[in-house]
Amino acid sequence: MAKAQPKVIAKESTADQELKVVGKSVPILEAREKITGRARYVEDMDAELHVKILPSPHPHAMVKKIDTSGAEALEGVEAVLTYRDVPDKVAEFGSHRFSLAMDQHLRYVGDYVAAVAARTEAIAEDALDRIEVEYEVLPAVFDPEEALKPDAPKLFEEGNDYGASQGLPFWAEYPRGIQEWGDVDQGFQEADVVVEDRVDVRPQVHAALETYVCMAGWKEDSLTVWNATQTPTELRLLLAQYFELPLSKVVVLSEYVGGGFGGKYTGRYQFVTCLLSRMAGGKRTRWALTREEATTYARRPRGKLYAKIGAKKDGTITALDFKGYFDLGAYGNHHGGSNAFHLEGGLLSYKTPNARFEAFDVHTNHFRAECMRSVQMPLLAFAIEPVVEQLAEKLGMDPIELRLKNMPKTGDTMPPTEYTQNASLYPTARLDLYPGEQMMREVLKKIDWKNKWKGLGKPASVDGAKRRAVGLAYCMGYTGFTMDGGTSVRVVVDLDGSATLYAGSQEIGQGINTTLCMLAAEALGVSLEQVSIVTGDTRSGAFDLYAARSSHQLATDGHLVLEAVEDAKRLMREVAAPMLGVAPAEVVASGGKCHVKGNPEGALALLDVCGPLVPPIEGKAAGAPMSLYPEVKPGFKAKQPMIMAAEVEVDVETGVVTPLKLVSGMFPGRMVNKGVVRGQALGGASQSLGMALWEEVKFDMETCTYLNKDFHDYRIPRALDMPEIDCVLVEEVDEESPAHEGLPYGGRGIGEMGAWGAVAVANAVYNATGVRMRKSPMTAETVWEALRREDVR
Amino acid sequence: MEAKDARRVIHLTVNGQEHRIDVGNNETLVEVLRERLGLTGTKVGCNRGECGACTVLIDGEPIVSCMTLAIEHEGKSILTIEGLEDPRTGELDPVQQAFVENFGIQCGFCSPGMVLSAKALLQKNPSPSEQEIREGIQGNLCRCTGYQQIVESIQAAGEKIGRA
Repeated sequence: MAKAQPKVIAKESTADQELKVVGKSVPILEAREKITGRARYVEDMDAELHVKILPSPHPHAMVKKIDTSGAEALEGVEAVLTYRDVPDKVAEFGSHRFSLAMDQHLRYVGDYVAAVAARTEAIAEDALDRIEVEYEVLPAVFDPEEALKPDAPKLFEEGNDYGASQGLPFWAEYPRGIQEWGDVDQGFQEADVVVEDRVDVRPQVHAALETYVCMAGWKEDSLTVWNATQTPTELRLLLAQYFELPLSKVVVLSEYVGGGFGGKYTGRYQFVTCLLSRMAGGKRTRWALTREEATTYARRPRGKLYAKIGAKKDGTITALDFKGYFDLGAYGNHHGGSNAFHLEGGLLSYKTPNARFEAFDVHTNHFRAECMRSVQMPLLAFAIEPVVEQLAEKLGMDPIELRLKNMPKTGDTMPPTEYTQNASLYPTARLDLYPGEQMMREVLKKIDWKNKWKGLGKPASVDGAKRRAVGLAYCMGYTGFTMDGGTSVRVVVDLDGSATLYAGSQEIGQGINTTLCMLAAEALGVSLEQVSIVTGDTRSGAFDLYAARSSHQLATDGHLVLEAVEDAKRLMREVAAPMLGVAPAEVVASGGKCHVKGNPEGALALLDVCGPLVPPIEGKAAGAPMSLYPEVKPGFKAKQPMIMAAEVEVDVETGVVTPLKLVSGMFPGRMVNKGVVRGQALGGASQSLGMALWEEVKFDMETCTYLNKDFHDYRIPRALDMPEIDCVLVEEVDEESPAHEGLPYGGRGIGEMGAWGAVAVANAVYNATGVRMRKSPMTAETVWEALRREDVR
Repeated sequence: MEAKDARRVIHLTVNGQEHRIDVGNNETLVEVLRERLGLTGTKVGCNRGECGACTVLIDGEPIVSCMTLAIEHEGKSILTIEGLEDPRTGELDPVQQAFVENFGIQCGFCSPGMVLSAKALLQKNPSPSEQEIREGIQGNLCRCTGYQQIVESIQAAGEKIGRA
């Protein structure tokens, strides 16, 4: 791989300094605690009371009568909660429909009818059996397009269209999530060839190995919550607001999280757990969802998606039109489409002068939708990449050539024409670096495209019923350099030169604690062993409203860590300057020492400068208020390509698709911690495969039952399911950007992007069989049906 | 109700330490380990034997401790994740060390069970092929890693043990 030899420019004439920490492969800081079993997850802590929920058996119903006296009378039961006991106010979730903690109106199978806190789980379960409920069953709706029709059963008084009923204030202008640039109709008129298609991308469940766990306890008017959450800062704000508490009286603790993938934001279960604790006199109540409850708690939205693309004879794309209906479930995440959040990426993949994105976020009587490893990029790619291939087919053009022809390059302005509608306020800007072509070349080489690709819809080999082929997909993503306006970081440099970071970022297994410490160690000129980090504890005062979201922590928190270090170094220079007898600008601060420029031998240790009895030096940094999409340098934004290639074998008799190899192409800019970056790419690839082939949420309409709530039937990939995965990790750094401005040492978050590649498998199945798969997951049954429809045997 | 409430005293050797415990007939081994003995390193991911997070070794054999009653193990010797470190030196077991060094750990929730399955495999077969490693951890689910760095960790551990 051709790697740039990045030049690191710091403010202190250390331009040719070699990196000592950044760029190495370093075991994650928590490795020892985790591998010895000493790491205490929320479920490992002592709770006084255990919470169980009485789930709604109906997808849509009203509670007509409820009698909880039998449960309340049971020895060991300390609190019983129903809709009658919760505050008559909505909890204002950050990524969730604003809703009551419990409601008389039940909107999905599993909705909260009653909750019990008891001394043991067994008692709590017994108590549930003693609750008598009478329901008024209402007609239900499960399809997002159906749910938009005027005569559809209404989940909410205002209707089922989230955007129309509950868009957030600054999206008021485009409640439906619209992004548009150029003139789409004109673009299609200019096209020589137009292709359109539709897909039904069905949900995938996050399935973190740790389920959802929350413990809460009150001491007088103070609330402490231990929660496996991706967003401690947000949870604290929302709890304070809901319980009308001063923020200083709410603490959220979340040291270890057993995986998140977008599922572990703020939902209603945290509020219910806190309410039960308050009812029980403040005792620590814990709600640990069972696996079955967790599997039907949240999932990525289903999307019924329509894509249309037009191009000139030479393959120049002239227009792209996309429309999506996203199924949010009853209380789901509005990010499905209403705010067009991150949608830009999917449409920006190609230099399309005219493009429109329109999405409807729709409530249905399913359990709620949440982001999963991005807001919805795997869905967008699943809709757009097959139409690009169909376009190539119609034009008689090589699909790789077509992609490369239309793929943006470093320095290109994207979108190429001005926004005419822009729900997310994305700025138009030039791309700082975009090595898509290089990535494509390397991915093709690793999948052996030259020998294994025989043409669109043509298998590379046929052996009886078994057909093999390769397929590929590409998508533009974001680097995560976003939302810095909601983030702050502090670095405390003790006088022995060691440092502690206080960050609002959240460690959920992606190694961000280690990564941030590496950045700080590098910038401070100390070893990694001298840096510690405090996260997952809101008492530190550090703030990150978005935290483990959008792959943003490396770029955003990382950038602010370096700014905070710069701030600390400025203070060090000011303190040391008088003793060194020079102006602060003449002082170099590094490795816990200060020296006059050009005279490192005369360095003074911080301790000698300050004496032992003064406080440490504290550097701070925060993004500009409300800053959402900062530029990485004036006029430039950071985006990145992802490319996945897959080789599969399809048995056309049974419909079974066997993956043989995956190649995952990522652009991490500079790998701060190589082992961690590769781990994210590999793990993402396995989720792509799960989404592509096996992970299906099965719901029986007759009995209104989710059929596969456990790991036996909801099949996430196992060790033997996974084929060889190869990674292409392209490194390239903007040599003009100082390490602490813009992206930290050039690093870009890739955490989510590996999970966007399911469509590469769909394209490979097409090449093997000549049949387009318009539905995910491509289970044997789905593939078999599609093959039979087109009479492929 | 009678059978459910019945109790008995059992003897377990856990990580080399003998315990005499009064347990309910219906208590699973993982409940006894976590709630009675405070050994919370053994995780519960599904509580129905499908994810392997609760794997412990009983007389060297991996077993999902959520699917077995404590009373079935009278007199048995049980190894949990807490028993792998050298108690004198604090040194990690080579399998643990290999997971640390080869990025076999992300969120860490599957790691204790995964390490114990790997330990059992390597005890029987010190130089397993990649296929044999994958078979050995087929019962242990991991959602973070895609397994590749776990497989590499186990390969590295095998090589290290082989050299020792």
